[in-house]
Amino acid sequence: MTRAEIEREVLAWIAEGVDAPADDARFERLALALFRIQHTGNAPYRRLCAAFGVEPERVRSWRQIPSVPAGAFKEARLAIFPPEATLRTFRTSGSSTDARGALHLDTLALYDASLVATFAAFLCPDVERIRFLVLAPSAAEAPDSSLSYMFERAMRELGTPDSRSFVHAEGWDVDILVAELASLEAKVLLAGTAFAFVHLLDALEARRMTLTLPAGTRVMETGGFKGRARELTRDELHGGIAQRLGVPRARIVNQYGMCELGSQFYEASLRTGVASDCKVVPPWVRTRVLDPATLFDVAPGDTGVLVHYDLANTGSVLAVMTSDLGLAVDGGFRVLGRLRGAEARGCSLAADALLDASGAMR
Amino acid sequence: MTELAQLADARRALEPERTITALARAFELWRAPGSPWRERLAREHRVYSPAMIERGVTSALAGWTADTLANLRARELPEVFAAPRVTAVWLAGSIPPSAFSAIALPLLAGSAVYAKTPAADPVSARLFAESLRSVDPAVGAAVAIGADEKALEECDAVVAQGSDETIAAIRARVRPARPFLGYGHKLSLAAIGPGIDPVSAAQQLAQDVALWDGRGCLSPAWALVSDSPRGRAAELAHALAGALEELDETLPRGELSVAESADLLELRARAAVREGTRLELAAGASTWTVVLESGEVRPPAGTLRFISVVPFTELDGLARFWGPLAPHLSCVGHAGFGGGLARLGTFAVEAGASRLCPLGRMQLPPLDWNHDGQGPLRPLVRRLDVEG
Repeated sequence: MTRAEIEREVLAWIAEGVDAPADDARFERLALALFRIQHTGNAPYRRLCAAFGVEPERVRSWRQIPSVPAGAFKEARLAIFPPEATLRTFRTSGSSTDARGALHLDTLALYDASLVATFAAFLCPDVERIRFLVLAPSAAEAPDSSLSYMFERAMRELGTPDSRSFVHAEGWDVDILVAELASLEAKVLLAGTAFAFVHLLDALEARRMTLTLPAGTRVMETGGFKGRARELTRDELHGGIAQRLGVPRARIVNQYGMCELGSQFYEASLRTGVASDCKVVPPWVRTRVLDPATLFDVAPGDTGVLVHYDLANTGSVLAVMTSDLGLAVDGGFRVLGRLRGAEARGCSLAADALLDASGAMR
Repeated sequence: MTELAQLADARRALEPERTITALARAFELWRAPGSPWRERLAREHRVYSPAMIERGVTSALAGWTADTLANLRARELPEVFAAPRVTAVWLAGSIPPSAFSAIALPLLAGSAVYAKTPAADPVSARLFAESLRSVDPAVGAAVAIGADEKALEECDAVVAQGSDETIAAIRARVRPARPFLGYGHKLSLAAIGPGIDPVSAAQQLAQDVALWDGRGCLSPAWALVSDSPRGRAAELAHALAGALEELDETLPRGELSVAESADLLELRARAAVREGTRLELAAGASTWTVVLESGEVRPPAGTLRFISVVPFTELDGLARFWGPLAPHLSCVGHAGFGGGLARLGTFAVEAGASRLCPLGRMQLPPLDWNHDGQGPLRPLVRRLDVEG
């Protein structure tokens, strides 16, 4: 199969929607074909396979496809096309001195298709269009942010014309946002980063305001805090949103995504009417929970590292290992938090972060 | 806290000679052949292999004698001084000798100790306190293990280990004008000059990489190796791989946590995808990784028996490499610099290092070392300047 043929098939699968059968044979065939193309066309990935003793001809199942830890995206251009063919590059968040991971794309067709299919299914299951109020910068202001791109793309496909973002390069319009929220008469989709919601909750508390947003309103929060706000647990954040904005917890959805992946994961709360912290895996993606020491699946009920196999990642690598601890559950997975490996290392903790902070030499 | 009052009372037993004798006897118990204390620690410690506990504790405590303690006290403390009644010691990490010395030093200065053990190693401090009680119950009574954070506010002095964030958070709780010794983020490296046979250097370096499984801030995060003549760094990297493989038999690595395994996997993957690197890995699952870098790049810092060998051709290259690490550089392990050692020392201290030691001894600091450039006892006590 050529890459174009694979992409056509994956696009067709995505077009069937998130409720399409998660056909294992179909996934196997496409994943193996894609792996061979990526192994051939991606020298850094080839080096990784060789270092870990993986011979491509011996890979007979998608489960044998070597995954690339997300940190490796900081080290090399993991793409199967030449740099001049790059259409868009998304980078992981970080300061200007940090080494940042990057996902290079030479087509947005699969990225967009996966993004819109899942966003529509999990955040707009009951509406064709809804007004978006976004607590993240626009894609024009943050061109390398996959999150800003996602919001903008979803807004274009699913938003009403009066949708808008309230965060800008120079700050955010908290007064305008609070006034807007206080005067809402129709349901909205309020979407943004977790730390932006913390700032919003703090702003409401400072004003001693408690709102009840119109019925049908839904909230989508994503991402961690990354030192940009006081850290809250999921329960505290969702509880705060429910209490200060008057949005029931079953209408608050956490999205789990990463810059290095073409697809995102959502909770199905809005589809089922029941609050859930289980992330649903779309049919064109597989998620495993691995023991990083053995690279075998952990026993059912055990925690391990989340590894995603995403057929929408045609131009880079389809198998990406996260730095997140997770648990497989029926229909998806739960994210239990970031891996923290440094407890036993005491004062040598975060040496890599020190290196990043002190400026890259390369 | 009533516990602190009891400790302050127990402090009366901390007369210098008695304390020195008790500490020296406790250290002797720990390093004695067939020490039951070491055996207990090996059984109860969840991070390291029994062989690691055996070798690590014995080697680290080799010079921790009554003479060393007496000399340290004489060097650091004046005739007239006031020691804290009780020092809160907030431990971090998992390396037993580090916990032992953190408890022993305030005692040597005449202060009782309230120690909080780290999550990764709740055993070492507790057993050391027990061993001290076994040799001298009165001196041992001046040590308590607990976790009450009120001690940070109520003790007369605080010693804290951990991340920079942890140190900052603890410092914020210490009352003004009270002694505070914080040991935050640090890392170390090995520098190998042209004057040593690469195979010998690799043998020594392997000890530093393997001891305590590459944990702790004295473990080399990188090995900078003179590549003159060209190919020497590669030769050393290959020999290092062989030496680490041998140590895997005699000094096996302990179990890694899920997160540590993931960290290690990521380090390996990052090295593998980086252009120009060469990975030395044993067939099958190896417990160590040696990466030969292609030039004066600074790859991610190694840990858990993962080490990058970075070739350099001139001493200035070293300064370029480690200069930006200041003030986080702790120890530089050296070999093969001959007459260039003084210049190396200048570079190291300018980059924030507080220890320059022979290769193979990086993980074995003497008891009286100036950890992070701070005297071991002097900052804890109040001195009196008497003017005529």
